[in-house]
Amino acid sequence: MKTDPHKAPQGESIGTTIVLTMVMAVTTVVMFSQGKMPQDPKELIALALTILFANTIFFLLIYTGRTDRYRAIYFSTFAVALVISFISHMFEVRGSMSLSEAKVFQCEVPFCHLVIPMTLVPVALTKTIIFPGSLIGGYASIASMFVIWIGATLAFGRGFCSWGCFYGGLDDGFSRVLKRPVIKNINPKWIYLPFAVLLFVVLTAAAYLSPVYCSWLCPFKAVTEFKAVTSTTVLIQTIIFVSLFIGLVIVLPILTKKRTQCAFFCPFGAMQSVTNKINAFDVRIDKEKCLKCKRCIQVCPTLSMNEESLEQGRTRITCMKCGKCIDNCPKGAIGYHIKGTDIPGKRNVYRLLFLFSAFLFLAIFSSHIIEDGIMRILKLITTGSMI
Amino acid sequence: MAKIRSIIGYMWAIAAIIMVFATFLGSNFFSRALVAASGVKISPRYSGGEVVRSVDHGAYRTLVHRPVFDALIGEKSEGFIQLNWEPLAGLPGVIEESVDYSGDGKADFSVRLDTKTGETSLTPIDPLVLSIEMVVKLDNGWMVRVRLKKG
Repeated sequence: MKTDPHKAPQGESIGTTIVLTMVMAVTTVVMFSQGKMPQDPKELIALALTILFANTIFFLLIYTGRTDRYRAIYFSTFAVALVISFISHMFEVRGSMSLSEAKVFQCEVPFCHLVIPMTLVPVALTKTIIFPGSLIGGYASIASMFVIWIGATLAFGRGFCSWGCFYGGLDDGFSRVLKRPVIKNINPKWIYLPFAVLLFVVLTAAAYLSPVYCSWLCPFKAVTEFKAVTSTTVLIQTIIFVSLFIGLVIVLPILTKKRTQCAFFCPFGAMQSVTNKINAFDVRIDKEKCLKCKRCIQVCPTLSMNEESLEQGRTRITCMKCGKCIDNCPKGAIGYHIKGTDIPGKRNVYRLLFLFSAFLFLAIFSSHIIEDGIMRILKLITTGSMI
Repeated sequence: MAKIRSIIGYMWAIAAIIMVFATFLGSNFFSRALVAASGVKISPRYSGGEVVRSVDHGAYRTLVHRPVFDALIGEKSEGFIQLNWEPLAGLPGVIEESVDYSGDGKADFSVRLDTKTGETSLTPIDPLVLSIEMVVKLDNGWMVRVRLKKG
């Protein structure tokens, strides 16, 4: 199929799709297995299912021309698998989800990318990381997460929030539960809140040399790990974590069909917005084709489209490159774009190049987590326990 | 000019794919290089700071960390010193340790730890030694932090 400039996005021909999927299949087999096949049959099944799942999604992305629909399936699976895998791992090594003081002072706390903004000022001024994790080696080390963040940032900027973040799939998934939003009118000024949260956590983390967001504000503590409740302070922290998770990651995404945690609260997302300027890809609107129907403004899960965007032909800085506006544009006026090239230009080539880097990142980054998630489920079915 | 910009754009986009491969294939190498090049360490607030002395007691040993007064810029007026006793299997029921952290040849405080209950008491000798800040049982021993005032 060739792209019809007057219709919504369409995919590639079956022949091209098969060839491209073969390339992805070989890549995923090599990268997921790291050159060795597991001996345990359960592990082998989990690996095979992970490879099959990744390549089925990639096939559909290419063949149908729809980006967001299939990306979201993979992305949400990644997030659910992370929760299953992480919690099982914590029970395996610690016996519970709670974080003991011993683990903190032995510097064995898994590091995640959300901490990165808070570490930058102290790193610059004191050359120390204000997080009780392992610098190199161990489970989720600090240096490896920095390398992944730098790689993703240079490859596709804030695209990380739709193609890499292992938490983002949760509110993305919940935002798709209802067909229509219950809360329709959201003040666009809310998109500035993450920048305020970013400023607050960066300043307080520097002042107290402590990752304030992790200690007080991270909703994802509710589904990963948190301190054992042994004092009133920890009880208050736990109530905040659970309330934010229920509010921002479950209830509000369902009611608004927006990614409320990512769009209106996450300080890491705010920092990533700035990096949207330093990578090759953006999302652009062909002003000549645009009908100004505003469908893209309605569906954007992060309020990164407004009337000004339509006038200027580009999304706002907060765009996560999820592709929802592209999928929903009735005239196919919106598409991925390579900076420096023509608009609309070779739209399908731009999209394929973007998909290759973004999907490859998502697939490789998620592979062990999805594989482990499947393994845990297989274990549950066969032994009655995930551990 | 437009053609050159377009060529650079395509090269940049292809570089993104290479970057993704490099990120994962070179993760170990880049992680080590990043730590070595930046010289970063874990904040002493968590690690306790560098170990400056190890005292061997036969079945167990005492690790004395440097006094930590680190602030974002300069030093704070109050800090702590961390002592670790390990391994857990070799620890006696009660540990009593006198510590000279200032290096003047005289003990600055002595600390007593009941390794069965975690009960700890401090006898400050130097007026800069304030109180016990925390006692934590680790996987391989015990740690105690003693609050200090900067001299």
